[in-house]
Amino acid sequence: MIAPSGLPRRHWRRLSTGLLRLGEEKLGRRWQQARQLIQSNGITYNVYGDPQGNERIWPLDPIPLVLSAEEWAGIEAAVAQRATLLNTMLADLYGAQTLLRDLRLPPDLIFQNPAFLRPCRGLILPQDVHLFYYAADIARSPDGRWWVIADRTQAPSGAGYALENRLVSAQTLPEAFHQSRVRQLTRYFEGYRESLMSLAPRNRDNPRIVLLTPGPYNETFFEHAYMAKQMGYTLVEGGDLTVRGDRVFLKTLGGLVPVDVILRRQDDNFCDPLELRGDSVLGVPGLVHVIRSGHVMVANSLGSGLLETSAHMAFLPGLCRQLLGEELKMPSVATWWCGQDAPRAYVRENMDRLVIKPAYPRFGVNPVFGAALSRKEREELLGQIEARPFQFVGQEQVPLSTAPVWTEQGFDPRFLVLRVFACWSKDGYSVMPGGLTRISTSADSLVVTMQRGGGSKDTWVLSDMDDSSGVAPQVRGPVDAVRTTELPSRVADNLFWLGRYVERVETQVRVARALVPALSGECDLGGAISVEAAVGVLAGFRYLPAEMTQARPAEQLRSLERALMTLLFDPHRAAGLIWTVNQVRRIAWQLKERLSTDSWRVLNQLDKEFQRSQPPPNVRLLAEIEMLDRSVMTLSAFAGLMMESMTRGPGWRFLDIGRRLERALQMVDLLKHGLVVTHGDLAEHLETLLRVADSSITYRSRYYTTMQADLVLDLLLVDESNPRSAGFQIATMGAHLSQLPKPDEPGTRQPLEARRILKASTAVRLARTDELARADSENVRHELDAFLQTLRTDLHEFSEALSSRYLSHAQLSRMF
Amino acid sequence: MIYRASHITSYTYEDPVSTCHSEVRLLPRNCPHQQVQSCRIHIEPEPSVFSVRTDYFGNYVHHFAILEAHASLIVKATSLVEVTAPAIVEPALTPPWEDVRDHIRAYPDPHALEAFEFTCESQFITTAPEFGAYARQSFTPGRPLLEGAVELCSRIYREFTYVPSSTTIDTPVMEVFRTRRGVCQDFAHFMIAALRSLGLAARYVSGYLRSGANYTGAEASHAWLSLFLPPAGWVDLDPTNDVIPGEGHVTVAWGRDYGDVTPVKGVTLGGGEHEITVEVRVRPLLDTQPTAA
Repeated sequence: MIAPSGLPRRHWRRLSTGLLRLGEEKLGRRWQQARQLIQSNGITYNVYGDPQGNERIWPLDPIPLVLSAEEWAGIEAAVAQRATLLNTMLADLYGAQTLLRDLRLPPDLIFQNPAFLRPCRGLILPQDVHLFYYAADIARSPDGRWWVIADRTQAPSGAGYALENRLVSAQTLPEAFHQSRVRQLTRYFEGYRESLMSLAPRNRDNPRIVLLTPGPYNETFFEHAYMAKQMGYTLVEGGDLTVRGDRVFLKTLGGLVPVDVILRRQDDNFCDPLELRGDSVLGVPGLVHVIRSGHVMVANSLGSGLLETSAHMAFLPGLCRQLLGEELKMPSVATWWCGQDAPRAYVRENMDRLVIKPAYPRFGVNPVFGAALSRKEREELLGQIEARPFQFVGQEQVPLSTAPVWTEQGFDPRFLVLRVFACWSKDGYSVMPGGLTRISTSADSLVVTMQRGGGSKDTWVLSDMDDSSGVAPQVRGPVDAVRTTELPSRVADNLFWLGRYVERVETQVRVARALVPALSGECDLGGAISVEAAVGVLAGFRYLPAEMTQARPAEQLRSLERALMTLLFDPHRAAGLIWTVNQVRRIAWQLKERLSTDSWRVLNQLDKEFQRSQPPPNVRLLAEIEMLDRSVMTLSAFAGLMMESMTRGPGWRFLDIGRRLERALQMVDLLKHGLVVTHGDLAEHLETLLRVADSSITYRSRYYTTMQADLVLDLLLVDESNPRSAGFQIATMGAHLSQLPKPDEPGTRQPLEARRILKASTAVRLARTDELARADSENVRHELDAFLQTLRTDLHEFSEALSSRYLSHAQLSRMF
Repeated sequence: MIYRASHITSYTYEDPVSTCHSEVRLLPRNCPHQQVQSCRIHIEPEPSVFSVRTDYFGNYVHHFAILEAHASLIVKATSLVEVTAPAIVEPALTPPWEDVRDHIRAYPDPHALEAFEFTCESQFITTAPEFGAYARQSFTPGRPLLEGAVELCSRIYREFTYVPSSTTIDTPVMEVFRTRRGVCQDFAHFMIAALRSLGLAARYVSGYLRSGANYTGAEASHAWLSLFLPPAGWVDLDPTNDVIPGEGHVTVAWGRDYGDVTPVKGVTLGGGEHEITVEVRVRPLLDTQPTAA
């Protein structure tokens, strides 16, 4: 950043002037806002082996890396050249293998590499494109030269994070961004989309493209969901696809639809359990067969991970001359592959100056700095190298240049590595004008990886022309072009359960909110609710032992308070509130690309309200009412967003069916636990029920103050105009059902789920509430009990029939 | 000798299987001493997709998919194969084993390059200094390649115990070496591992033995190995029976190890647990009439 003159380098000036004008305090404040933006947008990455299994918030530094137009031109040309070279090498190694025959590459470098996928040799690919997209990790030495330190040829990640970094940094430093004439990222992504379409084996005008993700536990799942949303691709997991004949199809609610292009973020080994990795049941059985038949394009090609090794680096200058007739434009960091005698001897002699790495990247094997080894460790490593020399490379340590980062203590220099992205186009590889800059964890650490801490920066490539407007980039994504009928069954399943769990959270909050006042014995206008009735309801939901209903009042009061505390604050209570909120979060994460940013913010808010690891000491439950009120508001906001912002496709219907089903079941249970047996004052029981069901005001406005069991039943069970009644839920589910894609089954008989919902609906409509409300001399309502029992069974059978028709997933298994 | 070979694999599943994708390597390949006259693969229930190709190693692979629910699967391969005994190679006249190793390492021609791949480790076959040390007792310095290999084959035959069902398909070679027991697949894997540990090229061969010829490993899939002998030849060795295979061995497929040539493999949706039975018959065509023993 600083030139030898002591002044900032020329292309940094606008930014540094901007920063000076802003001042540290204001920058700090802007930065605080940016971090909130990152958090509420849910930009995260996952860390393997994190016991929490949690995603972490994406670390972004507010000061971008600025590159001059001139410096960038060199990087751009070098990365495009390298992508061309690697693509040509892949075509040869998976084809004629002349590079091996002509002694250009040692054969064992290929044959020993576990990423060499033999079933993929000889596949015919559209335009011979193996590398549709590629990324190079490059680093700058203090003399200003750039070096390639790693090639990402498999399924490079980071372009989505780079785009998201840009959105945040342009908002944090809008003045400097505008004045610096930073090149836009938009055009790169537009080209990316067009090029990928042009590679489709058919339907080139409008191919069906899916983005294949290993799933929500993958390190960069955020990016998979984000890119799918931005580019308008359907996000799928292996289980969503199936091979029929010579084609691959997406399983949707409406049936199977053919897929033309698979943009994969799943490692190639795991893409086809039949022909590739034999011990895996991930992926799509038969996929390689479909590729061989030429009916689907997979990008990057299966097997392209072959060149992710650094062992080939020493051979690239010669290969570049031979294959492209050019000199390699950017050197690789000096690398010695131990599979050959002379380089191995060099590594042995110069271990102190080298980093020793596995030649074929393996999970959990990290680079070792030779100088940091004890004598014993060194001997051990040398022994391992002698036993399997081909598995190791030695690499020179490039002295890295630094860039400033913003810390609590002000600016601090850190080492940086820049990931540059390229994608194929019919006119050659095009390079994204920007990139993902990653920085080391501390001023003296050379380790630059997101997996072990470290941060990122936006990368500003300056334009020397006037055509670049400073408009914050927004990929014009045809988000609405995601064909709504093509809802993968797995997604419908997740939406259904999201609906159920959100509703369960709401019920739990409402139960707690209605019962807390019983602790004080005080109540607002309406009738009092009794400790006894509250205990009855909680015991029914199994938050209290059943015998507590018979206990003395003082003991009941104490146990009521304990039960409510557990329900609200105990993270270990199975099916407690915190557990349920975690379920909501887990499922919402899997639906990341389907939820709007606003919905995501609301869910984050909900999470924040309940994520307390411990109940606050000496908490007074009565004081928590306000918190519960807030949560009800948050939940209503979520419900509102769902109603107002989701298109009325099958996805929305499954979400709503989930909600309605859960609410109906909760109401059935509430009536069972609150009304079948009523010891003590009946009016207090009824008041409790009405409050939990949030129907107190409706009841009073309709019936004034008379508390009658049959009227309460009428309102909570039968009345289809009351959005809290069981009847309302059942009627709504019936309406949704009639709009879902129909199973093609012969005959006129209604499917099972329709028959069950019809039965439930008829039973509720015909219910004689006066008879159901009648109690025997022991205050037990047997008829009501039997009625609710049948209703419950019908609703469960409805749910199972619906799942097995639309949502069920059988497991893959292997046979030998 | 002309054989009629039949290989029947039957699966019965605990639960119905809704779809099944499968690959089989059951059609014997043609090679210098073997001609396939006819072959038929029959699958029940009838598959909706069925195709044949040759794989990376030149073996025939049939790919099929069954897309209707089924509770059992039968794959039946029958072929008519003519096998002639390969020309006998005099072990003492083969080159010193170190020369062969260096020749492969330098790969002056496509044959040697092809062999190069079979010096490398593979999924089921690792190399180890212990294996190399075991092999060197037979591969003394300067010893002709085939002399060393024949002796190594005999030692494995004598020192290792054939114990049916003692191992599974993924029992590591090191464990076979330690326990000195296994089945034909383990014997072949271990001998290949020992040869590769010396830098020699050896490939895994799957095939059949003539029924009723007093061989160990008949009436099922059999396995042995093939050793590269420059300039262009490969010599088979069967450590389970301590023979150089001749007329009695029918070659089906070869690869780096069992994983490359699994006779029947597949991925099913549903099915739960399954049971497999395998039945192999290899009878000389002239021998199909009952004759006096």
